[in-house]
Amino acid sequence: MTPSTPFGNSLTRRELLKAGAGGLAGAAVLPYLGSGAAEAQTPKRGGVLRLTFLGDPLHFDPHQTLSFVTMVPLSFVYSRLLKVKAGPSVKPMTYPLEPDLAESWTQPNDTTYIFKLKKGVRWHPKPPVNGRELTADDVKYTYERFLTITGNPNKPVLEYVDKIDAVDKYTVKFTLKEPNAWFLDLLASTSTWIVAKECVEKFGDLKRVESVVGSGPWMLERWEPNVKLVYVRNPDYFVPGLPYADGVDVLIDKDPSSRLATWLGGKTDFGPEYQHAVRWLDAPVAKQRKPGLQTAEYTWFTSGATGFKLANPPFNDVRVRRALSRASNLAELYESLAFSQGHWTPNPAVPAAFADWSIPIDQLGPEGRKLYEFNTAEAKRLLAEAGLPNGFKTTVEAPATVYGPDFADFIQITLKNWKAAGIDAELRLKEYGAFISSTIFGKFDQMFLGLRGAWADPEAYFYRWYMPGQPLNVWGVNDPKLIDMIKLQRRTFDVAKRKQIVFDIQRYLAEQALFGVDGSIRILSAWDAHIKNYMPNNGFDYGGRLMAAWIDK
Amino acid sequence: MRAYVLRRLLVALPSLLIASLIVFTLPRLIPGDVVQLMLEEKAYGKDLDDLRAKLGLNRPIHVQYVDWLGSVVRGNLGESLWTRQPVLTELERRLPVTGTLGVMALVVAVLLGIPVGVLAAVRQDGVLDFFVRSAAILGLSIPAFVTAILTILLPAMWWGWAPARFVEFSKDPAGYVLQFILPAVILGIASAAGIMRLTRGMLLEVLRQDYVRTAWAKGLRERVVVLKHSLKNAVIPVVTVLGLQVVSIVGGAVIIEWIFGLPGMGQFLVDAIVQRDYPVIQGINLLIVLIIVLTNLSVDLLYAALDPRIRYQ
Repeated sequence: MTPSTPFGNSLTRRELLKAGAGGLAGAAVLPYLGSGAAEAQTPKRGGVLRLTFLGDPLHFDPHQTLSFVTMVPLSFVYSRLLKVKAGPSVKPMTYPLEPDLAESWTQPNDTTYIFKLKKGVRWHPKPPVNGRELTADDVKYTYERFLTITGNPNKPVLEYVDKIDAVDKYTVKFTLKEPNAWFLDLLASTSTWIVAKECVEKFGDLKRVESVVGSGPWMLERWEPNVKLVYVRNPDYFVPGLPYADGVDVLIDKDPSSRLATWLGGKTDFGPEYQHAVRWLDAPVAKQRKPGLQTAEYTWFTSGATGFKLANPPFNDVRVRRALSRASNLAELYESLAFSQGHWTPNPAVPAAFADWSIPIDQLGPEGRKLYEFNTAEAKRLLAEAGLPNGFKTTVEAPATVYGPDFADFIQITLKNWKAAGIDAELRLKEYGAFISSTIFGKFDQMFLGLRGAWADPEAYFYRWYMPGQPLNVWGVNDPKLIDMIKLQRRTFDVAKRKQIVFDIQRYLAEQALFGVDGSIRILSAWDAHIKNYMPNNGFDYGGRLMAAWIDK
Repeated sequence: MRAYVLRRLLVALPSLLIASLIVFTLPRLIPGDVVQLMLEEKAYGKDLDDLRAKLGLNRPIHVQYVDWLGSVVRGNLGESLWTRQPVLTELERRLPVTGTLGVMALVVAVLLGIPVGVLAAVRQDGVLDFFVRSAAILGLSIPAFVTAILTILLPAMWWGWAPARFVEFSKDPAGYVLQFILPAVILGIASAAGIMRLTRGMLLEVLRQDYVRTAWAKGLRERVVVLKHSLKNAVIPVVTVLGLQVVSIVGGAVIIEWIFGLPGMGQFLVDAIVQRDYPVIQGINLLIVLIIVLTNLSVDLLYAALDPRIRYQ
C-alpha cells in the first residue's frame, strides 16, 4: 500500500481544513464515483443489498457499547459530523476523512473547532422525531449525552472535550480541554452517531429497536432477532441520489458454514465473514461458483495480543520479553490458519492495517526488528543470559469460546513454539465473558493471549495500552519517556511530524519488547459481480461504504 | 385420574420452586458480570457501580430472588437487561419455532425408530437387521452438528444450493413448515437410532413370551401377532425413553437452531448466557423445566392408555 496522509493521499491536514472552510458539501456525491470499472457505467437505482452478519445487535444504543454487533447495524441508519471516505477510489487500509453532516469547519486555535452543518438535513420520517430538521442542538445534545451517560465505553473518544456550544441553528463549537491532533479522526469514529433527543426522552434510552431514528441513508424497518435486520431507503437522505439500493437485508447468521453456504447458494451478495471476507481456505470454491467475483486483499485490524505484567519476574527483564517474541513463529502460525493460509502482515505496536501510521518492520531499531525473526536458539540464549538457562514456567489465560477455531489453533501453535524455547506456559482457558470482564483489565496471574483490533484510531493502540491510569494498561507501564512521546504526538498537528513521533513510539515499544509480536491476516473481501461501485475497508461503517454501491441486475 | 393429575401437579410445585432457585442462582455464579460485559473494555469504577444500581443488581441476591419470583407468579418474567424487551414476549415468539422443530424431530424419531425397530426384530439376525443396527450405531455416533454442517455445506459447494432462510408462518405457512424438514430429520435421526434399538430389543423380548407363542399357535397372521399383541407391550419402555428424548431434543435444538438460523429458544439461551442476561436465562430455563415436568406427567398418563393394568391412584 502506498503511504498517504490520514486525510487522503494528497491532502495535508491544513489543506483539509482549508477545503472544509471552502465547503466540501457540493462534492458529496463525487467521491463515491471513483475509478475502476464502475466509472464507465451509469448507476442503477433499486434492488436490495443482501449480506450476512455474525450476530444480533446487543441493543441499539451507541452510547452504551463499543461492540461491532451494534455499531455495524447502526451504520446504515445514522450520520455523524465527519466520516471516513468510501468508494472504489479509496484504498483499503487508508482512512481519508470527508464531511458527513458537516458542511465545513474551521479551527481558530489548537483547542477550538467550529463546524457549519448542512442545512435541510432531516431525521427519518418516523415517530417520535417525524422528519424534523437536524440542527446544532442535536449535535450538542448527542455529545453531551455521549460524555455524561453512565457506562459509555466509548468515552475516551471524546473525553478531552471541555464543552460543546450550539452557536446558532447550523453552527457547533467544540472547545477541548487540551489540544488533540486526532480530534477530527475521532469525530469520524462510528461511535459518534448523532442521535435524536426525542427518542431518548420517549424510550428512556436508545436500546430498543423502536428508538433507532437517524438521518442516514437507510431506515431500520424491522429487526427479527436471530433472523435479520431489514432496512429501507431514506427518501429524504441529504446526499441527493443516494443511496442507490432501495433496501438492505442483513441476515443474522452465527454459523460460519451456514454463512458460506448462504453466499455460495446465491442468497447473499457479499463474502460471509466480517468485512465481507471469505476465508482463504474457501476462496477457490467461491471463485469457482461465482464467476466474475470481485475481491480486495488487505490487512485487517484484528490481530493476536500477548499480555504480561512487567512487575512480575521474569517479565521485568527485557531479555525475557525479547525471548518470548523470538520464540514465536508467526509464519508457521499464519500458514496454518484456515482464515489466512499464509496471507498475513507482521504488526508493530500500531497494527499494519493503519497503512499511514504503522511503522514498517524494517524501520524499527535493530533490537525491535529482531523480535520478528523466529529463532528458538536465540530465544534460549536470551533466557540463559537472563539467568534462566532452563527456561521458566508460567501461566497463560485465554478465552475458551467466541473467537473461533482459528484462535484455538493460534494458542496451540504459540504455546508449542514457546515450549521449544523453554517457556513452559500452562494454558488456563476462561469463559469469554469472564475473560473480557477480568483478564483484559489486568486480572490475570502471569500472561494472557487474546485478540486486539476493536479501535479504528491508531493512537488507541498505544495511548490506551501504555498510558498510566488507562484501564487497559495491564502491563503496568509507567515510563516517563513513553508518556512524554505520547503526550507530544497528541499536541503535534503537523501530520508528518506526528507520524515521526508515532513511529518513534513504536520503535521504543519494540526496543523495550513491551508487547508480544503478532500479525494480522491479509483478508480477502469478496462481493458478487453484479455489485458495482463498492470497495471494502476496515471499520464498522458498512452503511457508509455501501450507500453508493448499486446493483447491476 | 383427575385427582392423580392434580396431585402430580402439586408435587411438581416444590420441584419448580427448587428449579427456580437453581436457575436464578447458577447464572450469577458464572465468572463475569453482566455490568462489566456491558461496559466491555472501558470499565470506569464509578460507572460499574452506577450501572449495577440502575439494573437493580446491587441489592442482596435473596431480595432479587424474591422480587423475581413474585413477578413470575404474576406472569411477568422480567425484561432483557440488554434489549429491554419483555422476556415473555420473546419466549412467545420463539417457543413456536423450537416447538415446531422439536415436535417434527420427535415425529421423525418415532416414525423412523419404531417401524425400523419392529422390522429389525422381526427379521432378527437377517441382512436387514444387520443393516439397520449398523445404521443405528452410525446415527448414534455421528453428532447432529456434523451432519447438519455437511448437509448445509456440501450441496452449496457442489451445486450452489443452500437451504431457505427463516420465514415466519404468517408470511408463508407452507415455507414455514418446509424449512423445518431438514433440521428436524437431522435432529430426529439420533433419537430415532436410540428408539430403534430399544424397540428392537423390547420387541424381541416380548416375542419370546408365552402369550405370543399362544398367538402364533392360534394361527394368527404375523402382522396381528407383532403389531397388535406384541408391539403395544414392547413400546412402554420406548414411551419412557421418548419422554427423555424430549430433553435431548431440546438440548440438540440449541445447536441445530444455530446452524440453520432458526430463531428459537436455543439461540436465545446461548446469546443470553454469553451476555449474562439473567432474566432471559432464568425465563428460558424455567420454561424448559416446566416442559420437562409436563412431559414426564404426559408419559406417565400415556402408560395407562398403553397398558390397562396400570391404574392411577
